[in-house]
Order: sequence, then C-alpha cells, then structure tokens
Amino acid sequence: MKMKNAIEVENLRKEFKGYSSRSGLKGAFRDLFTRNYKIVPAVNDISFSVKQGEMVGYIGENGAGKSTTIKMLTGILTPTSGRIMVNGMNPHQERERFVQTIGVVFGQRSQLWWDIAVQESFRLLKKVYKVSDAHYNEHMNHVIKTLDIEPLLDKPVRKLSLGQRMRCELAAALIHNPPLLFLDEPTIGLDVLVKLKIREFLKEINEKYNTTILLTTHDLSDIEALCQRVIMLDEGNIIYDGALNSLKEKWGEGKELQFQFLKDPELNAVQNLTRGMPVYWELDEKKMVFSAMIEDNELVSRTIAKVAEAYQIRDMKINEISTEEIIRNIYEKGSVS
Amino acid sequence: MDKYIEMIRIRFLMMLAYRTNYYTGILIYAINIGAYYFLWAAIYGHKTQIEGLSVVQMTTYVAIAWMARAFYFNNIDREMAVEIMEGKVAVELIRPYSYLMMKTMQGLGEGIFRLFFFSVPGMLIVSFIFPVKFTWNPAVWGLFAVSIVLSFLINTQLNLLTGITTFFLFNNSGLIRAKRVVIDLFSGLLLPISFFPGWAQGIMKYLPFQGISYIPSMIFSNGFTRQAAFHAILEQAIWVIILVLPIQVLWSLAKKQLVIQGG
Amino acid sequence: MFYGSMFFQYLAQYMKTRLQYRADLFVEIFSDLLSQAVNFIFILVVFGHTSLLAGWSRNEIIFIYGFFLVPFAVFSSFFNIWDFNERYIVKGEFDRILTRPIHSLFQIILERIELESLFGAVTGIAIMFYSGIKLGLEMHWYDPFVFLLFVIGGALVYGGVFVMLACISFWADARTSIMPMMYNIGNYGRYPVDIYNKAIRFVLTWILPFAFVGVYPAAFFLGKREWTFYSFLTPVIGVVFFTVSIFLWNQGVKKYRGAGN
Repeated sequence: MKMKNAIEVENLRKEFKGYSSRSGLKGAFRDLFTRNYKIVPAVNDISFSVKQGEMVGYIGENGAGKSTTIKMLTGILTPTSGRIMVNGMNPHQERERFVQTIGVVFGQRSQLWWDIAVQESFRLLKKVYKVSDAHYNEHMNHVIKTLDIEPLLDKPVRKLSLGQRMRCELAAALIHNPPLLFLDEPTIGLDVLVKLKIREFLKEINEKYNTTILLTTHDLSDIEALCQRVIMLDEGNIIYDGALNSLKEKWGEGKELQFQFLKDPELNAVQNLTRGMPVYWELDEKKMVFSAMIEDNELVSRTIAKVAEAYQIRDMKINEISTEEIIRNIYEKGSVS
Repeated sequence: MDKYIEMIRIRFLMMLAYRTNYYTGILIYAINIGAYYFLWAAIYGHKTQIEGLSVVQMTTYVAIAWMARAFYFNNIDREMAVEIMEGKVAVELIRPYSYLMMKTMQGLGEGIFRLFFFSVPGMLIVSFIFPVKFTWNPAVWGLFAVSIVLSFLINTQLNLLTGITTFFLFNNSGLIRAKRVVIDLFSGLLLPISFFPGWAQGIMKYLPFQGISYIPSMIFSNGFTRQAAFHAILEQAIWVIILVLPIQVLWSLAKKQLVIQGG
Repeated sequence: MFYGSMFFQYLAQYMKTRLQYRADLFVEIFSDLLSQAVNFIFILVVFGHTSLLAGWSRNEIIFIYGFFLVPFAVFSSFFNIWDFNERYIVKGEFDRILTRPIHSLFQIILERIELESLFGAVTGIAIMFYSGIKLGLEMHWYDPFVFLLFVIGGALVYGGVFVMLACISFWADARTSIMPMMYNIGNYGRYPVDIYNKAIRFVLTWILPFAFVGVYPAAFFLGKREWTFYSFLTPVIGVVFFTVSIFLWNQGVKKYRGAGN
C-alpha cells in the first residue's frame, strides 16, 4: 500500500512585489509619484513531500523563505504558482475546512487571548474547532499533564513567563488533536529545561498519534533531537533534502583543531602556516583560542605538525565538526553537492 | 540641535513613504471642507452676515481652519500612549535627548510635510471650487504664520500632556478620544467661537483651546482688526508659556513613577 | 448555527475581559457621551443663528441626529475595525486569524466587539423621543418594525463602507488615517441632503451612502413623503454595500502578503 503523504508540494513559487526606495529627500519625492518596483521570488519553484508521521526540520537563514513556505502550507498566503496538497486539501482554497486539520504554533505570536485565563482561551478554541467534551477531556487532560500546565490554567496569559506561555501555546494548538503540526520557531528564547520538556512532549505526541510535525528553528539542537530528516532552504531554493545523518556523514568528515599558545601570535601568521591547504582558521579573541576547520582528515596531522613547529602550544583539542558548523559551511558554499 | 533636525527629516521621509494615505488625505479634506461649506451656506440662507462674518469670510474660515489643522494636528499623544504601554519609553529615556522634545520634533516634521504637500495644494484646489477669498496683504500672512506656529505649539503641548497621563492611567485611549472631541469644538474648528452664546465665550476665554484654531483662522479670514490680532497672538504666546509648567510637573512625576515601577 | 454559537462564545469572553477593566469601560462611555454632546451643542449653536436649515426646523435636525446615533452605535459595536491595518496587517495578527476555521472577517468582528458603544443607541432613542414629542409626531404600530429595518440597513451601510476601506490594506501600504477621517464624512449624512450641491448629494447617496444612515430613513418618521422612496432604499443599499464589501474582502485575503516580508 502506498503511504499517504501529509504534505505534497510541486514547483511551489511565491513572488512578492517589492519596491526599492530611492535615497534622500529628493528620492523620496520622486517615490511619491513613481516607484521602482521589482519582483522578488521568496520561494523559488520548490518541490517536496512529507509522509504522515514524519518529523521534518525546515531550516534556512533569515529570509531564506521558510516562513513564506509555512504560510503557504497553512493557507495564510496564496502561492504565485505551483501545486500544494496538505492533508489532501488545497490549503488556501478550502481554508476553513483545511485549518481544522492542522495545528500551528508561531513562536513569536500568541494564539491565546491576552487578558483572560488560559483555560478560557482553551474553552473558546474548543468551540472554535468543534471538539466534543469527551474528546477534549481524554486528549487534553493528557496534554495538560505532560506539559505540566495544570497550575497555569487559571492565570491570564499576560502574567505568564515566556516558557509557561509557550507550553500553553503548544497545548492550544493541539486542542483538536490535528494530524499535522506546524511549529515556527517554537523554542525561541526559551531556557534549556523548557526546551527539553517541549521536545519530549513532541516526541510523545508523534509516537502516540502518528502526528506529522514540520518544524522551523534556528536552534539546531531541536532538529538533532527531533528530526530524522531536514529540508534546507537558501534564497528560496531547496539546497538539501534528506536524512540529518547522511548530511553529517557527508559533510561532517573533518575535524576541528583548537590551539592555545604560550605566546599569542597574529591570526594572519597562523593562517600563513597552512596556506594552500583547505583549512579555515578562526580566533576566539576573549579566550585566545585558535580553531582550525579541516575538511580532509588526512590534513590533520600535517596541520598539527606545522603549528607545533612554529609556536609553543599550551593546550590542544581535536573536535568533531558540529552540525551547526556543517550547516554554516554549506551556506558559505551555497549548495550541498 | 542636529539630532532634532534629523528627527524632523526622518519624519518627513516616513510621511512620504505612505503615499496612499497622502492621496486620499487630500481628497478627504476637500470633501470635509466642501460639506461644511454647504452646511454654512444653508445656515446663512439669505443673511449677509452673522456675527460680523460674511458667507465668503465664513467659507475662508472653514477652509483655512481645516488646512491649518493639517499642520498643527498630530498623533503624538496616541504614539506616546503606545510607547509607554509597551515599555518602549524606558529605552527612549536612556537615549541622549529629551523625549518630549523629540516627540515635538516628530510632530513638527509631520506638520511641515502636510503644510507643503497637503495644505498648500489642498488650498489651491479648494480655492478653485469654493468662493474662498485670499488676502494678499503680507502683514496678514505674517501674522497668520506666527499664529499657526503658536497653534502647533499649544496643540502639541496638550498632546504631550495627554500622552504623559498614560503613566498614571491604565488605559487612556478614552481620554485621548475625549480630548480630540473637545478640541474640535472648543478650538473653533467646527464653528467660530464668536458664534457661541456670550456666557460660553466668557468661559472659553480662560481656556487654551481657541489658540489652536480660532485665532489663526480669524486672522486669515480678516475677521480680526489688526489690534485684535496682535492681542490674540499675545494670548497664544502666554498659553504656550503657561502650559510648560504642568508638562514639566507631570513629566517629572512620570519619571519617578517609571523608576519605581520599572516601566 | 455554528456562527451563532461562536458569536455568544466570543461575547462571553468579551464580557470577562471588560469586567476586568471596569474603569476603562466608564471612560469609554463617558467619551462617547461627550462626543454626542459636542455634536448636539453644534446643532444648538447653529440654530442660535437661524431658524430653518433648507426648510428643516431645529427639532427635525435634532431628530435626524438622534436617529443617526442608533445605526451608528450598532456599527461601532460590531465593526470596530478602524485600526485593522495596524492591528492585524502590520503586526501580523492576521496570520493567526487565518489559521482558525472561521471566516476571517467574522473572527475579526467577534474579536473586536465593543458593546459599550451600544449605549449611544440609548442616547439616540432618547433624543428622538425628545424632539418627536416637541414636533408632535405620532407613533404608528408599524414604526418600531420599520425603525428596526432602517437601523439594520444603516449599520450595514457603515459596515460595508468601512470593510471596503479595510480591504485597501490588502493591496496597498495604506495606514489608518483614512478611516478616522471617514468618520467625519459620515457626519454629513446627518444633515438634510438638500443643503449640498448635486455632486456631494450624489456621493452621499451612491458612492459613500452615508445619507442612508441619517437623513433618508429619518425623513420617513418625520413624515416627509417626498423622501419615502429613499427611506425604503436604506435596507437595500445596506445589503448591497455589505455584500460587495464581503466579496472584496474575500478577494483581498488572497492578496494578503503576510507581515514582515
């Protein structure tokens, strides 16, 4: 049997008509009458699909087109062209029926009513999504317990801390137990304990209800903890779509060397040592730690030899390259292959 | 001083950026003036004069009152309320300038923008459609110029005062709205103060509102003698000075409040 | 059915929020009363200098003003959208609206309900009775029903115009000062349209039909037979304008660009 896809996207494109302002007062007057318009594609003919029950990390730098894609998938924005099928529906065309089947959490925007108690918001949302009492009790009691928000229910949202609010937001998005959950920066600004709790919870929901989760985040540790698969976006194009592991295998080859010297040399001088070799140096000025990113493992000992020859080493470490660095490297190069 | 002039410039640019607003604004002001013109024409009926103003003077009065309003009017009270409620004002206070002065300059930037791109072309359009009578006497223009600058100051001071009250009231949007309504009526925008019954005029003499609209409009429509005009401008100036006091008092109280509550 | 029950759900939330800020509530009502008083004073002062306004007496003008207050109060209670652009488009709250399974305009109307504005209807009816008695108007059995019909029609006219204005935000970077200014224009419907010239009369009847929120329907109760046709056009214009505005809204939502792009 063919597995049902939760999300199917083909040649999806979204263009924005932007205008550039001319500079200065004179330019502003001219703008009053004619403007320089230009069409900017925020999402550039992308295609992908997500299976029911998958947890996918959707990553990219600011302005790469992440939010635009999410907004098209949730029916907020109409695509310029291309085909979207989410939960078997076209999000924008059948918006009201469609949103019944998804849950959305925007990390920087509240779903809850600011002035009233959390449970009042829940009650209203329960009616909005037409959830029966029996369903609500069975499902939400569990959610409330797992997220540990029982004591927060009678407080108005404006009195909650960010971490408390985020947990309530998550619960609010799950009131109708949607098979598909969109999370846009859900852990932004949260402390480690809350982050861990939210991750645990998402895993559990995914296992229990086979909920599909699409997650955008700046915090790669979220993705490492949750997602088997990542889709990486750059300037509106998908530059990588696949398992997080194979990304690591392919790009994680290489090491990071950290040196501390007895007498601190200039960064240029150190860089000169490995001139002609694919080695990238960085300097942490506060701690005077010199790090070298080396892609080719065979170059590790040569680099060490050269450095040891030139300077007296006080301390040295050899590290695996972190996911964050892998991704930074990919963005610097602009493509995966 | 440079930073304040820069602020005027920035505001000017911001106003230019919202151009849809600009086009519709002129249209709406023109409709507004037009509707009041017809209302007044109907009120005059066959009378040639009411309270010493002819129909043409009245039309001129209405037109100039609205066009002057474009210059002195601003929303800084509402902006201050938002900045205070969202806690942004604490950031403003650690910057190396006077917050109130900065707000005034923002208002001035807006005002100058509207004066040149709104009032002047708007007045031209209006003068083609309605029987408005301009004077070409430079002395009248000079007095008018001084007078609307003072209008701007009085109106801005009142806005600052209402804005500052946000520190003490939880939500002052009602107060801001009430203030606007009162100013529209008692400043002489809707109808000249001289149309009110005598006892009401007596009370209004002791309020700053007529310095906002009535005085400059009367000067422009030649409704005042030269003597009366000088006297009126002097009154405006006195109000500008008097209003400094409550602003300073409330502002220093507000800053104390801010320190205690942490914004 | 569902929309009806949602209405009461939101209403209950609104009450809870309002009761938390009781002081605000009083200030709101007070400032409403104040602005009604200002308009009333305007009429009184003007009639200190004339006895007839294009053939309409002082009490008739006051009656029209009283009528105007009622549909206007209904409109203000349910179409509190004058800051739609700033509140929903610029701040991106419209994203949230679009992720919920209720029509977006209906949600915004529900979220922004301000029932305290209905207080204006009480003032309006009181003013109508006051001037009606002075004018010696008689009340017929059908008057309350016609009144209700005209009030709904008038509120829909206002609603339609303001929803259309809100729709501009979907296409252009318009800020809100258009809408507050429009309240001024709405005031012209309060005066007999015969004082205006043809062009403005045309605008007030067919383009920005604010005359249907004041003088036209009120003329019916004042027994001005020559306006009867226009009086009964009130609900028609209301429905037409409101329908068109909803159509425009639905088109606009497709053009929504989201915030922060």
